[in-house]
Amino acid sequence: MYNFKSFHFYFAEVAPSVAEVLDFLKSTDLEEEHPAVIFIRDILDELNYSTGIQGGYIIKNINELNVKSGFINIENTTLNIGRQICGYIKEAEKVALFLCTAGEEFTRMTNALNEQGDIMEAYLLDAIGSLSVENAMDKIQIELKQILHPDHFKISNRYSPGYCNWPLTDQKALFDLLGENSIGIALSESFLMTPRKSVSGIIGIGQQLKHHEYGCKICTNTTCIYRKILHE
Amino acid sequence: MSSELLTKLSECVEFGKINLASPYPPQMKGLPGADEITKEALESGVTPGEILNDALISAMNKVGQKFSENKIFVPQMLLSAKAMGASMIHLKPFFANGSVQRKGVFILGTVFGDLHDIGKNLFGMMVEGAGWEVIDLGIDVKIEKFVEAVKQNPTAVVGISALLTTTMVNMKPVIEAIKAISPDTKVIVGGAPLSSDFAAQIGADGYGKNPQEGIVWLDKLTA
Repeated sequence: MYNFKSFHFYFAEVAPSVAEVLDFLKSTDLEEEHPAVIFIRDILDELNYSTGIQGGYIIKNINELNVKSGFINIENTTLNIGRQICGYIKEAEKVALFLCTAGEEFTRMTNALNEQGDIMEAYLLDAIGSLSVENAMDKIQIELKQILHPDHFKISNRYSPGYCNWPLTDQKALFDLLGENSIGIALSESFLMTPRKSVSGIIGIGQQLKHHEYGCKICTNTTCIYRKILHE
Repeated sequence: MSSELLTKLSECVEFGKINLASPYPPQMKGLPGADEITKEALESGVTPGEILNDALISAMNKVGQKFSENKIFVPQMLLSAKAMGASMIHLKPFFANGSVQRKGVFILGTVFGDLHDIGKNLFGMMVEGAGWEVIDLGIDVKIEKFVEAVKQNPTAVVGISALLTTTMVNMKPVIEAIKAISPDTKVIVGGAPLSSDFAAQIGADGYGKNPQEGIVWLDKLTA
């Protein structure tokens, strides 16, 4: 029986650099004096005083993993993660179900910028939020790997509902499995998370698990905007 | 004089010079921006229609073209849109009193189940810059909300956006519901995972691979 393990990061611990944000936005050619660059620099400083990023995971045993039918059963709850993700974690014996959020403050700041017509700034802040949450999840994954290493368990990359053909509607079952947690992420009736800048998903755990490429490199969606930004 | 002001205004929008206080772009530092030039143009007798058609629309066209050719990226495009917004504030009263005619009404939203708004916002700004009135319904927009907006604006064109393969399938029931109450309403769809084939399969009338393509399609409706 495992409990939900939660983490709290100060923003500075997971903040992307100015260069990382520009790289993410495919805008490394912007001049130093471009308002986007100035804003990124200033807001990163300001966010150092924010509440930070929260995340965590809970480990569960797998009852059944059916690659052909594309589902995984955990504690009598079925997650239709699809053949693609099933294939990537087919050697898993357990899974870590995870959550991570940049918090309500990020959403409030982004909305305020949009409302005052600062659309570019809102877009940049949104990108910083996404990168910070991903950086926090990277740290959580490293910790998970270290904890499991003595028992010769390996972990997979992380996969989320809505991506790699895992239906977003599965968020409900995923949240049911996650149960009570201290992160405070809620689901809307359209299965979207509040706070908005949040991620959820699954990581496979197994002694025989093989490494597969992460994210865009394995996705079959060749026209996705993230693939375009990150890999072209 | 008027053509000189319109050219200057067009450049301000194209390069993102919002107002006098904006230090960017460096070559325009200390000069009036879209805000002040629009004010000056109106005071000197340039009509709001000329400002819209001969400066703003042409500037945003250039911006859209550069974006579709990967010569600029989202931050530059948004800065241009912001400069356009600074000019548009002065034109709003003329839209409201009917002295400037827009091309039509465009209802826009991200389909239910999807909260991605960057593509939608960008397209909305480009459509506004192309001379349309934009009603932005936001993200995670339910079928009923689209239908209600069409009922209130029966001549409007509808745009639906989605970013995920798992949410683009939600577009079909929205289109069906709109066509059920208003068969002549035109619907355009867009978003990274979509294709023209998918758009046709779900009953959309148009598909925009990028904002510029969407604008071209919209403008054909008014031609």
